[in-house]
Amino acid sequence: MAEAAGKRILIVDDANLVRRFYREALERRGFEVDEALNGVEGLEKVLGGSYDLAIVDVNMPQMDGLTFLKALRRQAPLVASLPCIVISTESREHDHAAARAAGANFYLVKPISQDLLVEHASIMCGLPA
Amino acid sequence: MSELAAVSEEEYAKVCDFLYRRTGMLFTEAKRYYVQRRLSERMAFLRIASFATYYAYLRSDVDGEIEKFINSLTVNETYFYREEHQLRCLSSDLLNERAEAKRPGEALRIWSVPCATGEEPYSIAMWLLENWPEVDVRDIEIVGSDIDTACLTAAREGEFAQRALMRLSPGLIAKYFVPTGENRWRILEDLRRSVQFTSANVTDRAQVRAHGTFDVIFCRNVLIYFDDASRRVAAENLFECLVPGGFICLGHTESMSRISPLFEVRRFADAIVYQRPPEDGHG
Amino acid sequence: MPLIRRPSPPVEAAAPSRSLTEGTADQRWAAVRAAAERPDAVPSLAAALAQESDPRVREAIFTGLARAATAESAEAVAAYVRSDDAGLRRAAIDALRAMPMASRPHLPGMLADPDPDVRLLSCELLRDLPQADSNPLLIGLLERESSKNVAAAAVEVLAEIGRPEALPVLNRVAQRFGDDPFLAFSIKLAVDRIGRS
Repeated sequence: MAEAAGKRILIVDDANLVRRFYREALERRGFEVDEALNGVEGLEKVLGGSYDLAIVDVNMPQMDGLTFLKALRRQAPLVASLPCIVISTESREHDHAAARAAGANFYLVKPISQDLLVEHASIMCGLPA
Repeated sequence: MSELAAVSEEEYAKVCDFLYRRTGMLFTEAKRYYVQRRLSERMAFLRIASFATYYAYLRSDVDGEIEKFINSLTVNETYFYREEHQLRCLSSDLLNERAEAKRPGEALRIWSVPCATGEEPYSIAMWLLENWPEVDVRDIEIVGSDIDTACLTAAREGEFAQRALMRLSPGLIAKYFVPTGENRWRILEDLRRSVQFTSANVTDRAQVRAHGTFDVIFCRNVLIYFDDASRRVAAENLFECLVPGGFICLGHTESMSRISPLFEVRRFADAIVYQRPPEDGHG
Repeated sequence: MPLIRRPSPPVEAAAPSRSLTEGTADQRWAAVRAAAERPDAVPSLAAALAQESDPRVREAIFTGLARAATAESAEAVAAYVRSDDAGLRRAAIDALRAMPMASRPHLPGMLADPDPDVRLLSCELLRDLPQADSNPLLIGLLERESSKNVAAAAVEVLAEIGRPEALPVLNRVAQRFGDDPFLAFSIKLAVDRIGRS
């Protein structure tokens, strides 16, 4: 539990309940959690703070998750290298390939259980699952 | 003191969500007390006891309630050196970057829209004179525009109440203003003449285009009043009148996400600003 | 004083090209923006959209169609909600959101679309409707919904604008998808919020 302390995760998703669901699970594991409501705010947060991982939904207003990812990877190296888990619905092959091309480190399909989320987040943050 | 209805955390979250979706205004936890108070005040004023009733009333925008609520949230009083961190960003980062891109003799152009009664464009002028090392070797044009012609008339007059000067040091006031009696001050004629005031509606493409192109635009607390369609048009108009590489600054509660994805996010030490991409040439 | 004031030179008006599909992205953008100010723009904007790949020009076309806010423009935009491209889907939904009256007739059809993502994205558009209109539509969707993700999207919206009439269907969905932890979580929250409103 203690190892997660100090690891910061940014959730980028426009759905309130989803952010809350992820937050609860991640905070229980000891992660510090921050939120952004769409890709533009995600960028603002990432530029303004330091995170160990971003969890990004594909379908968001104003700027979708893949556009966010591409914009992220264009930033200065310290920011651009932020590990990202991209989350989409069903198994849209197109989204999956596009996410890989945009620089996603991992790709998950909804619905996601809290355990699965925490497991992947831990791995991406370099912690034991 | 009448009892104001208490607003719960859930209710506060609902209102913030709605405000964000409708206007782009973003309120953090730090602002919770402030927003709750404004909520309670509106409810008391309207004699609505239940939050659910007020929430429905707000959402349906009866009697222009959304605008009234927004008005209560944006401190409408303007004053000199408001949002100083953006002024710092201007002189520390934005103008330097823009200056490098200029041809010899080409002026740096700054737009303050809406300018209300002129505090913002005059502040920019004063700030640059005081803080920008290159101010003596560069040509700078400052334009202030508003849709309210009464405001423009007042702005050209350049006379302000003491309140508007509250953030200025006595030294600055003495340097740039002359007292005109009864706690009123007039800004020096040199400065009055250095700002051009014009009428403009940012949703009107022709009016915006008539102003030329700018290196930096300050467009604070007006986009929040527009509906989605108008906001998109205004954003495109502003994008069009920015030079490639030019910057735009919004109010501190405003999220650019309302009118992205046109602009790129740039983070500087003092502020997050938005930029028209420097190279547009690709077909 | 180095601060100068002089009349602003207007934005260079390059010979306005009427073609929305030729020239550089900048030229197409300018042409689209000019076209969007004319009342008869919808057919040419819709046609241009089908060929346009530059995101900024596409965005301007969507803005023009949203401004027009006619049955035709909503129809043209709605087709893109089915796109494989996440950005296009997002742009279409944003444009529909910007023309609520024109979009409304399309909502029942979109909520019943065979593609679950279309149904999911369409739930978002119900948020701005009067509750008397949005609740029946969401209740109708939830009664027949087979996709957990779509149901979750509907529940998310109901958590904000749901009325007590939605409580029975929420309980039925909880039973139907009882095994899904996120749905269970969301429904509990939505029921809670509706109950207290």
